[in-house]
Amino acid sequence: MKTYSLAVLAALTLSACTEWSANKDTPSDATTSSNDNGSKKGAVVRPPTDPYPSTYKPYLSHTTLLTGATVLTATGERIDNGAVLFIAGKISAVGAADQMTAPDGAVVIDAAGKWITPGIIDIHSHLGVYPSPGMASTSDGNEATSPNTSQVWAEHSVWPQDAGFTRALAGGVTSMQILPGSANLFGGRSAILKNVPSRTAQGMKFPGAPYGLKMACGENPKRVYGEKGGPSTRMANFSHYRAAWIEAAGYKKKWEDYFEKMEKGGEDAEKAEPPTRDLKLETLASVLAGDININMHCYRADEMVQVLDMAKEFGYKVTTFHHAVEAYKAADYLAENGVCAAVWADWWGFKLEAYDGIRENAALVHAQPNSCTIIHSDSASGIQRLNQDAGKAMAAGANIGIDVPPEIGVKWITANPAKAMGILDQTGTLEVGKMADITVWNGNPFSVYAKAEQVFIDGALMYDRSDPARSPRMDFEIGQEDNGFTGGAGQ
Amino acid sequence: MTAKFLITAFSAVALTLVTAAQAQTVAIMNGRVHTVGGSGVIENGDVIMRGGVIVEVGQDLQAPPGAQVIDASGKIVTPGFFAPFSSIGLQEISSDRESNDAGPRDGFVLGAALDVVDAYDPSTTLLSINRAGGITRALSTPQNGEHLFAGRAAVIDLSGAPQSVTKAHAAQVAVLGYSGARMSGDTRMGSLAVIREYFDEALSYTADPRDYARRYHDGRFAITDLKALGPVVAGRQPLIISASRASDIRGLLRLKNEYRLKVILLGGSEAWQVAKELAAANVPVILDPLSNLPGQFEDLGATLKNAALLHGAGVKIAFYNPPGFGAHNLRALPQLAGNAVAEGLPYDAAIAALTINPAEMFGLQNQLGSLQAGKIADVVIWDGDPLELSSQPSAVFISGRETSLENRQTRLRDRYRDLSRGDLPHAYRGKK
Repeated sequence: MKTYSLAVLAALTLSACTEWSANKDTPSDATTSSNDNGSKKGAVVRPPTDPYPSTYKPYLSHTTLLTGATVLTATGERIDNGAVLFIAGKISAVGAADQMTAPDGAVVIDAAGKWITPGIIDIHSHLGVYPSPGMASTSDGNEATSPNTSQVWAEHSVWPQDAGFTRALAGGVTSMQILPGSANLFGGRSAILKNVPSRTAQGMKFPGAPYGLKMACGENPKRVYGEKGGPSTRMANFSHYRAAWIEAAGYKKKWEDYFEKMEKGGEDAEKAEPPTRDLKLETLASVLAGDININMHCYRADEMVQVLDMAKEFGYKVTTFHHAVEAYKAADYLAENGVCAAVWADWWGFKLEAYDGIRENAALVHAQPNSCTIIHSDSASGIQRLNQDAGKAMAAGANIGIDVPPEIGVKWITANPAKAMGILDQTGTLEVGKMADITVWNGNPFSVYAKAEQVFIDGALMYDRSDPARSPRMDFEIGQEDNGFTGGAGQ
Repeated sequence: MTAKFLITAFSAVALTLVTAAQAQTVAIMNGRVHTVGGSGVIENGDVIMRGGVIVEVGQDLQAPPGAQVIDASGKIVTPGFFAPFSSIGLQEISSDRESNDAGPRDGFVLGAALDVVDAYDPSTTLLSINRAGGITRALSTPQNGEHLFAGRAAVIDLSGAPQSVTKAHAAQVAVLGYSGARMSGDTRMGSLAVIREYFDEALSYTADPRDYARRYHDGRFAITDLKALGPVVAGRQPLIISASRASDIRGLLRLKNEYRLKVILLGGSEAWQVAKELAAANVPVILDPLSNLPGQFEDLGATLKNAALLHGAGVKIAFYNPPGFGAHNLRALPQLAGNAVAEGLPYDAAIAALTINPAEMFGLQNQLGSLQAGKIADVVIWDGDPLELSSQPSAVFISGRETSLENRQTRLRDRYRDLSRGDLPHAYRGKK
């Protein structure tokens, strides 16, 4: 049985601050910081790391005790007749119901017969960038104009009025990573969001979450660019990646040389000019510096292993292979390299590189020591039922003797994606001190009949299946005469 | 009696499916039997099949001498599930033209005349993979190129046998709504005008083919397309036609009345708003019960309650997977049905939607869709609730023959269970 020590994970997920990029403590909107002599002339110029900062703030929450439920903590523990207490939006206690008392004034919810999990997390979503309605004018998910578009940031395409966010909420989803599409070798930066409606994308951004970079292997780039100047082959895919990493390393070095001169001071510092910013290389250099997580769309096992060598060649880390349909063929490599596999339960055959998909994929990845299995959606429909996809994958494992009980399987859609997205220190498990991102189900969440009944995000009740007033409805959907039905999230 | 029944029953079927010599005598004993027929659910029920046909269903039956006896205690027995809309058998890999015959490229001249029987390949791996999920019959359907009519669909079985077409020309397929508009000058007015013109020409053709051929001049509709539409305008062959928006569905109902068509609605994300009219017009609906996003303006009313509301109004329903994943994952149909149940569809209605309803849609209700004496023995034994994610078939019979639950995916799984280097590479391991 695999359990994660929180401390170990926290160390893994904290972004390293490097010389070339600004210190994370710097006010996010600062583009310069003064050096010791304080003179304007000697100011060190640093590229901003967070120019579109999160403005997300938790909504009103009440001290609440959910009690009498089956609690899956996503740390590997299952508590029958358990309880979860949260205060001021943070989890304050998790344990046996009979050992927990509600503080004065707390809301007490009898959750007997219910199941409680951390809020569901999708590491692979295109909500907001391929929103509903899916029209040519809203198709903002794939800047398919060049094989390397590391300069684009998904958050600049996210339309916060996408009705898909509300449907995902009714599926228990509290956080997600929005990725650019997969036409490009380098697709651009991801946005990690809390699933709380906002007028702005910034209002949804997960505070403190690191950026991800979307990359893609195989068929898509060569198909899209085969007749547009390349790459038209898998070998050219690699030559393009490698050339980009070499260029990024040079760019990073230029900035480091500049910082070094400024630090030494004296005449060199007086003359030093900061390099010209290049958004594309800035993203790639941040990957090399360990500040951005790599999310690599890669179906075939042989390509995954090539990518792992490339990562060693240039000194970066692949965090997660997405759509890893053949992960089961290289599950040992993935585990040894500490790479997560984000998979569907049963999608296959829609293209040749997905031909060898099997339902036991997730379980076979999971069966390796120190592995990291994630169930992802890549779909505005699938994100509403990640619990069901996990349920199917768990059942497939059970059929071949790989037992994945609910308290373990739940990690595939909570703790593991949180780890891979760099937010496990804040959410993804029911542990004291974490955000009270909690989904209450009307039964075992891995049953086809299960429904999320209540969804709390930072302790605020954002969805209640029995209360239309707790069901968000996006601007696009209001005032559509005769089309209103159950309303918003639970439609 | 049985033999006589078979002769009449099969006369409507284009290609015969069962010969007595092929199939065993099998007695499935003591299961929870969903007959989907007059007997409802039989606890500790038995199903006896012989010669490819169900001969008896009931309680405390005697297994015939020499029968293979299967103890189904603790298990669930259902009719084989019937997938009413997918391009199974026409494609191995969806996105690769080299292995996909489901529909023509743009610019191809024919539409309605296309016949899936000409492309159907029973050797596709999709059959055994989906069979292992309890699917025994399917309508194999053509996909539209740039004609409103996609062609003629066929009911097939998932045995993979060389002769596995149950019923050719079981339905014609067409599109309305935005997809139809896109093929008709980008307006719904265009698609309805073109469809009417097709029907008028088809009527004119069928009234006097020779005279029509004399008057015919190139550049309008292909005569072969009009010929194929003959049974549709005669009201004999069902027309599966896709539409989402309530107003489009009402337009479809007008069209049905104008031409006395036998219509099956496909999609119908707003069909619940037209449920009474659909029920009154006896139009069944093949729907994706998970559709709940306003993907287009025509889907603003999409809701997870669609299946329950349509059923409640008396509309016959069946399920199909969302386009794009249909053919490869027919095995997900029980999951779709389970979701519909979670949104209020009665359980028995969900089972009917997977069995008898599609059989009825294609005129096979006397041969398929329920566990009743005289019917073709498509029978599945499940290790649990067939709609539940953790359940799977432990045996699948098609026309009375037990089929293999192994397939390319189980072979891949077994080959890569052990990733160690071994004495020889993985390419030497496992069954072929």
